[in-house]
Amino acid sequence: MTGRRDRLRGRIESLRLVAAGVVGLAVFALAWEALVRILDVRPFVLRAPSKIVPEIFDDPRFFLDHTLTTGRHALVGILIALVCALVIGAVLATSRFLEHASQPVLTLILVTPWVAYINSVVIWLDSGTPPVLFMVAFVSFPAFTFGTVAGLRSADPSARELLASVEASRLEVLWRLRLPSALPSLFTAARFNIGLGLAAAYFTEGAALSPAGLGWVGRRAIAFNNGDLLWAAILCTAVLGVIGLTLVTLLERLLLGWHVSQR
Amino acid sequence: MTAVIRLDQVAKSFGDLDALAPIDLEVGAGEVVTLLGPSGCGKTTLLRMVAGLEPPSSGTITVGDTTPSLARATKVIGLVPQTPALLPWRTVEANARLLLDVNRGANPTPVPDHVDLLRQVGLGDFLQAHPHELSGGMQQRVALVRAFALGSSILLMDEPFASLDEITRADMRHLLGRLCEQTGAAVLFVTHSIAESVFLSDRVVVLSQRPGRMVGSVPIDLPRPRLPAIEDDAAFFEHETRLRALLHEGAGRTGTST
Repeated sequence: MTGRRDRLRGRIESLRLVAAGVVGLAVFALAWEALVRILDVRPFVLRAPSKIVPEIFDDPRFFLDHTLTTGRHALVGILIALVCALVIGAVLATSRFLEHASQPVLTLILVTPWVAYINSVVIWLDSGTPPVLFMVAFVSFPAFTFGTVAGLRSADPSARELLASVEASRLEVLWRLRLPSALPSLFTAARFNIGLGLAAAYFTEGAALSPAGLGWVGRRAIAFNNGDLLWAAILCTAVLGVIGLTLVTLLERLLLGWHVSQR
Repeated sequence: MTAVIRLDQVAKSFGDLDALAPIDLEVGAGEVVTLLGPSGCGKTTLLRMVAGLEPPSSGTITVGDTTPSLARATKVIGLVPQTPALLPWRTVEANARLLLDVNRGANPTPVPDHVDLLRQVGLGDFLQAHPHELSGGMQQRVALVRAFALGSSILLMDEPFASLDEITRADMRHLLGRLCEQTGAAVLFVTHSIAESVFLSDRVVVLSQRPGRMVGSVPIDLPRPRLPAIEDDAAFFEHETRLRALLHEGAGRTGTST
């Protein structure tokens, strides 16, 4: 009886939080609309929501296709980065020397303004999907690697000794202890990489000369001085980011129910 | 009695720091031996060396009839660390079988029933609970079951109840006493609690302050099975007094009160 009441209370609390988010977004949209109208902002600088939303609904298929393309680019690129980071991070976590040797390189990738060398990557990998995937994976890789190394190292030393006392293999320790210990920091990196990966996908699509993705739509809007189209592409990218973060949050709740951050 | 753990002139130093002076020690089959001493006297270091987790600086250690590292590989040793070291993403039941899930080739046959053991220690209603849903005492009970579930003939316990309150601690030593008597395993137990050492042990080895050296080896001739009421017995107090005196001797003091 108490359990059912607690679950009901939990659901009401969740609904209350969702409602609070919706109210926050509505207030933001209203303030945005009012600001554009009152200050009479030029179309290319900022469009009001009342102009952007109809632009999308004029040709929903067009925006859906390009949104799905950008979403696919970001997802695949981020997954490639995650797999590479897990493999390389697992190697780096075995040696302090290797970890320190890799730090400057990873930091350099992280802090270098990647927008500046997108065109070089496009020339190198040609137009189309490859440079987009490369850029998304490349910029997402350092955060995942840092997260992997820190997470693998954070495994409880007593639990490591315990497994050592029965001669568990390296692979068993990795799978049963170190990887689950790394999950919290990997989720933190994933949140960071959603925004970064989407931005990389958007800018590289714009530079990759292939007619696909919201970045290409945005680039075309700039070329044709079309403010409504540009801001519609920006809004679709933002929606993709929100969907990505929501999925990460749901996955986190599913996999990290045991972690202190989820209680 | 056949020795299942034997230390011959085993010493340990970390760089210039002598942690443990040369020590000889034997633990017989089914015998419970406690290492009693002040913090930092090298008790845990000694236990880790027996578990094969730390090499000795000199001397030889035999576990069963082999080396500690071979004993690890054949899962002869059940270790209970200072903290419960439960994996927070595993349920109570899954934590209890953790050591059976790795290095499976060396599992005993038949494998002891860890669920039955959990029921025996009063955790039958918590099989699907996660560690954060348990009290400190319950977590430590899972850690004990995890070691006993290996069916090992040798158990090494490193101050497993150090972080518990006095009442829970007393309950835990009574529970452990029961489990040890049931399984007949040889136990090397580390503690700085005099009451714990008297209740559980067949013999208490008292170590001095660092570098730890053996101050005395006191047989505890209290009858078995030992029930909680034995702690009110005059003989129990006598053993406590004697061990306290040895501890003071090891610390270089002459008084018997702190």
